[in-house]
Amino acid sequence: MLDQKLKWIFNTFSGSVFNTVISTFCIVLLFFLINNLLGFISNSEWAVVTENRRLLLIGRMPQEEEWRAWSILWISSFLIFSSLKSFVSPSKKELAFISLIVMILCLIFTTESSIFKVSITLLISAFSYFLTKYISNTPIIHKFNKFLIILWIFLVPLIFCLLLIADGPKPTLWGGFLLNIILASVAIGIGFPLGLLFALGRASSLPAIKIACTVYIETIRGAPLVAWLLLAWFVLPKFLPEFWGLNDISVVVRAMIILSAFTSAYTAEVIRGGLQSIPKGQIEAADSLNLNVITKTSIIILPQAIRVVIPALISTFIGVFKDTSLVFILALTDLLQVGRIIPEQDPEFFGKALEALCVVAFMFWIVSIALSNLSSRVEKSMGIGTR
Amino acid sequence: MKNKSKKQIGNEIISTDNITKSFGKFQALKGITSKIYEQEVVVVFGPSGSGKSTYIRTLNRLEPHDSGKIIVDGVEITDDVRNLQHVRSNVGMVFQQFNLFPHLSVLRNITLAPQKVKGLKRSDADEIAMNLLKRVGIPEQASKFPSQLSGGQQQRLAIARALAMQPKIMLFDEPTSALDPEMIKEVLDVMTELAESGMTMICVTHEMGFAREVADRFLFFDEGLIVEEGTPDHFFNNPKEDRTKLFLSQIL
Repeated sequence: MLDQKLKWIFNTFSGSVFNTVISTFCIVLLFFLINNLLGFISNSEWAVVTENRRLLLIGRMPQEEEWRAWSILWISSFLIFSSLKSFVSPSKKELAFISLIVMILCLIFTTESSIFKVSITLLISAFSYFLTKYISNTPIIHKFNKFLIILWIFLVPLIFCLLLIADGPKPTLWGGFLLNIILASVAIGIGFPLGLLFALGRASSLPAIKIACTVYIETIRGAPLVAWLLLAWFVLPKFLPEFWGLNDISVVVRAMIILSAFTSAYTAEVIRGGLQSIPKGQIEAADSLNLNVITKTSIIILPQAIRVVIPALISTFIGVFKDTSLVFILALTDLLQVGRIIPEQDPEFFGKALEALCVVAFMFWIVSIALSNLSSRVEKSMGIGTR
Repeated sequence: MKNKSKKQIGNEIISTDNITKSFGKFQALKGITSKIYEQEVVVVFGPSGSGKSTYIRTLNRLEPHDSGKIIVDGVEITDDVRNLQHVRSNVGMVFQQFNLFPHLSVLRNITLAPQKVKGLKRSDADEIAMNLLKRVGIPEQASKFPSQLSGGQQQRLAIARALAMQPKIMLFDEPTSALDPEMIKEVLDVMTELAESGMTMICVTHEMGFAREVADRFLFFDEGLIVEEGTPDHFFNNPKEDRTKLFLSQIL
C-alpha cells in the first residue's frame, strides 16, 4: 500500500520532464494559495458577519417576529435530518462532512442570546436522525416515510403560514437567506409542474397548443431574467386588473411570478429533451395495449423522460436558486444584497466586503452542493434495474 | 403436423379490402386484400421492404392506412376513437424489439394494462400476471426488471404482457429477429403452445421450420402486394410464382 503511494509520488514528479515542471508549478501555486488563505482568515475581522447575523439570515424582519424564522428552521431541520436517514442514508464519511458543515454554520451564526435556540435546533436534528435510524427496521417506517413526503410537499405552504399568521411582517420585510430559500422553493415548486405541462404542450400534435407553448417558452427564454424583473417592477402592475388590489401586489409576489415563469420555460426545454429520447417503440407498445393518453403519458413516457434529464434538471434548479439573488432589482434584500450593502453603508464595517461575501458564497455553496448530491443520489436510485 | 387436421377454422375475424399505405413517395402497400379466420395461424413472409410489417401494423392502426377498408372483429378501423379502442383491446401485439417498459418490474409490465384499461384490482391483476408468467415459463423473474432478463425471456414477457389483455388476435412482428440463435426456440415454443390453444395469430417471421409446423396458411408479400398465398404444403412443394421460388430458395 505504502509502496504504491511512494511509487505514485515518484512517477508524478519524475515521470518526464514535462510532468516534473507541471507538478512543481502546481505545488508552488498551491503553497501561495494556502498561505494567502490562512493569512486572510487570521487577519480578517469577522465582526461584519457576527454583528449582522440576523440581517444575513432573515433580513429586516423585526426582532419580535424572529420566532417565525426559528420555527421554520426547526421544522426544516426535522425534515432534512429525518429524510437524510430515510431516503439518503449517508456513509460515515458523508455524515462527517455534513456534521462539519453544520458545525461551521453554528460557529458563524451562534450568538450568546441565541445559544439556547441553536442548541434546540441541534437537538432536533440529532433526535430526528436517530429516531429515524431507530425505527428504520420497524414496520412504522413506511408510514413515517409517507408522512415525510407529504410534509415536504406542504413545506412551502407551511412556511407561508408561519410567516403570515397572527399578523406577520410585510413580505417586503422578508429578506436574507430565508428570502432566497422561499423564492427558490416557490419558483421550483410552481415552475417544475408548469414546465412539465409546457413540454408536453410543445410536443403535442395539436397545432394551437403547440404554438402557444412554443411562443411562451421562446418569449420567456428570449430575454434575460433581469429584464423580466425590471418588467415586473415597472410594468406588471399596469397589466393586472384593479379589483382585489391586484395591481398593487407585493414585489415579493411579483418576484415569485417572474421566477416561476422563468423556471417553467427552462424546465420545459430540459424535459422536452427527455421526451425526445423516448424510443418510438415505447409509445407503440402503450398504444397496442390500449392505454389511454393520461396513463401513457404519466406512467410510460414522463417517468422515463424525466429520469434521463435529472442532471440537467437539477442544474437548472441550482441556477434558479442562485438567480434568486437578482431580486435586489425589486428592492428586496436577499442574502447577497445584505452582504453587499453592509460594508458599503455601515461606516463601522467599511472595506469588510470580502468577509461578508465569503459567508454569502458559503451559504449559496451549501445549498448548491446539497442539490447536486441529491441529483446523483436520485440518479443512482432510479438507475436500479434499467437498461 | 400434430393437431392441424382436427383444428376448426372459424368465422372471418379480419378482412382487409384493397388497403394502401405510402411513406412519402414510397408506397409500402399497393392494395392488400385478405381475410383471416378465427383460430387461424397465418404466417406472413417476404423480402425486406415488401410491406409485411406495415400490413400487420395497419391491423391495429399503429400505421393508419391511406385508403381501403379494414374490418377487425366486426368493427371498421377509422379515426373514430371508440372503434379504435375496441380493436386495440382485442388485438395483442409482439414487437421485434420487445418494447418492454424498462422502468417497470416484470410483473408491473403485465399488470399495467389490465389495471388501467380494464380496471382490475391489483390482486386480481397480479394473479393473472403470475399465471401468464408460468405459462411462458418465467414465473421466478416476476420481481426483476426487464433488462435483467435474457433476450428470449424478454420476448416471452412481451407475449405475456399482450396476452394479459385477453386478446382475440395476436400479431407478431418478427418476434425472433432480434434474438440470439440459442434463444429463438424458447420463444417459438411459447408461440407454438399459443397456436395450439386456438389463438388467432398473424406472424411475420422467417422461421420456416416453425411456420411449416404451426401455420395454416402462408401469405407471401413482395413490393407491397400479396404475390401468393396457400397452405405450407403448397409453398414447400410446388410454389407457382417465380418470385416465391426465388425467395424460398434464398432463405431455405
